[in-house]
Amino acid sequence: MGAAPMEVDSGNGVVERKQSIYKSLDESFEIQKEMYRGQQYSQIYFARLHLMRTLLYSLIPTWKPHLPVCTVLGLEQGKECIIVGTLFKHMKLKPTILDEYSKERSASPLVKPHNFMHSDDYLILEDESGRVKLRGTILVPSVYVTGLVVALHGKETGAGDFMVEDILEAGLPPQIDRPLNPNGDDKYVVFVSGLSVGSSSANPLQFQLFVDHITGHLGDEKEQGIAAKIVQVVIAGNSVEFPRGLFNGQNLGSKEQSKLSEPTKELDILLTQIAAGIPLDIMPGTSDPANFALPQQPLHKCLFPGSAAYNTFRSCTNPHSFELDNVRFLGTSGQNIDNLAIYSDASSRIDFLERTLKWRHMAPTSPNTLGCYPFTDRDPFFVEACPHVYFIGNQDKYVTSLIQGSDNQVVRLISIPRFAETGTAVVMNLKNLECHALSFGTQFD
Amino acid sequence: MASSSSDMKGFFREKKKSAKPNKSGKPIKSAKPKHSASCGSDVVQPPALLSHGSPDLQDEEYDEEEMILRQFDMNMAYGPCLGMSRLGRWERANALGLHPPQQVQNLLMGSKMNNSECLWDGRV
Repeated sequence: MGAAPMEVDSGNGVVERKQSIYKSLDESFEIQKEMYRGQQYSQIYFARLHLMRTLLYSLIPTWKPHLPVCTVLGLEQGKECIIVGTLFKHMKLKPTILDEYSKERSASPLVKPHNFMHSDDYLILEDESGRVKLRGTILVPSVYVTGLVVALHGKETGAGDFMVEDILEAGLPPQIDRPLNPNGDDKYVVFVSGLSVGSSSANPLQFQLFVDHITGHLGDEKEQGIAAKIVQVVIAGNSVEFPRGLFNGQNLGSKEQSKLSEPTKELDILLTQIAAGIPLDIMPGTSDPANFALPQQPLHKCLFPGSAAYNTFRSCTNPHSFELDNVRFLGTSGQNIDNLAIYSDASSRIDFLERTLKWRHMAPTSPNTLGCYPFTDRDPFFVEACPHVYFIGNQDKYVTSLIQGSDNQVVRLISIPRFAETGTAVVMNLKNLECHALSFGTQFD
Repeated sequence: MASSSSDMKGFFREKKKSAKPNKSGKPIKSAKPKHSASCGSDVVQPPALLSHGSPDLQDEEYDEEEMILRQFDMNMAYGPCLGMSRLGRWERANALGLHPPQQVQNLLMGSKMNNSECLWDGRV
C-alpha cells in the first residue's frame, strides 16, 4: 500500500503531502553476507589503521611536508618526525573483567555507568611495529579515546616516550555539493527517538498527539498545510521498553510471554497510523529487540504486522545512512556518543558529534568498549562522505548546531532528545537545514 | 629307550600352530604413524595429540610452497593472519592496495586444500 494523500474537509479539495526521493545507503551496515570464522578484533583494528593511515599519509604533505614519516619502531631519539597509529588510552578507572576475580565480591555491581576518566590517564600510540607512550601538553587525554587513528608530530625523548608537538586529525570528509534552492519548497524531516513504548514513564497520549499532528489530523488548515510538508519521519532507536522484571532468569509462563509482546504490539498500532501517511524509517536502539553489537541490524518485519504492510515503512540499521532529495543523512541511536561520554569529556554532547566527524569515525571506541561485529576487511564506521545532516538519538535534550569544514562542507548536527522524557521531537527543513523543536505537553499547568 | 634323533623336532614344537608363516619374506612392518615423535620403540608411545595439521619437525617434508605461504602469513604488513583464511587475507591485502605477491595467490588458487588456513590455525 502506498501513502494516501490527506484529505482536508475545507471544501478546497485535497491537500497533497509533499514527496521526496529516498535512497538508502545502509548496505555497508548490513552483516548478512559476513561469515564469522573465529576471527578476533585485531582484524578490524588492522583494517581501520590501514584505511585511516592511507588517508593521513595523503594529508601529511599539505600539513608538514618537510618532516619524515616513520613507524613506531623506526623512532630515533631526538629526531623530529611524524608517526601515524592507533591511540590507546590507558585508564585507571576503566573496569576490566579481571577485577571480578581480584577484588572481593561486593554486593554493588563493579561497573557504574558514569565517567571513568582520571587525571592519571595517558595515551599510547600503536602501529604494527610497536607502541610508544605519548607525552606533552598538546594531546589532552580527556579529549581522545582508544581506537582513534591520528598522525602526530614530535620526537622521541630520552625516556623512550614520544613528546607530541602537534596532531593531525583526518578532518571532515569531502562532501557532495548540495544545490541550495532558497526559493524551493519547504520540506520537513521529523526526528524522534526514545519513545519507550511499554515503559511506565512513557505517556501514550503524548505520542498519540505527535502522531495525530504529523499525519494532519490536528489543527486548522494552516497546521495541516505545515504537516503536509513533512516528507520523512525518522525514529532513532529505543522505541520499546520491555518490563525488566520479566528478565529474572526464570522461564516465562504464557501470561508473561504475552506481557512481553505488549510493547511491540502497541508500537505497531501507532506506527501503522504514521506509515499510512508518511514514509517512516525506524532504527533499533539499546532497548529494542535487535542484536547488541553495532551495527545493529534492522528490526524484523514480523514485529510490525500492521505497519510493515506499507511500502512507506522501512526498518533500518543502526547506524543509518540515507539520502533524501540529494541531502545526505547519517546518524545513530546514541550508543556511540554515550560511550564517548563515558570515556572522554566535552562541554556538550554535540561536541562529541563534531569530534567523531572530524576524526572521520563514528564509533572509535568500538570494539574496545562498545560492542561491534568483528569485521575482517572493512570498518563500516569510517565516514567516507560527509553527511549534510548528522544526528544522534536518545539524548538528554535537544541541541543543534551548524559546523563548517575547511573544504566548504556544511553539516547540521542534531541531538534528538528522548521523547518519553521530554515530549520533544525535532523538525528539520530540507531546503535550508534549519531545525526547530516540536514539543507536546499533556499537562495543563 | 633310545629314540631316533630325527624325531626330536616332532616332540618340541618350534613354532606355534596358529602362527602363519611369513610367505612374503619381507620383515613385518609395524604401523608407525608417519610423523610421530618417537624414534625407536613405537609400541609404548601414544600417537601425538594433534587437532589439525602436523607438528613442525625437522623430518617433516613441508615444501617450498608452504615456506612461501608461511612467510606471507608472518608478514605484518598484511595484518594479522589468525582467524582468516590465507586467500581471504590475500584478497583483503589486494583490496587495500598493499600489492601482495601474486605468487601467493597462485599457490592458494591451486588445487591443494591443505594450505588454505594460516600457520597458527588450530594451534592457538
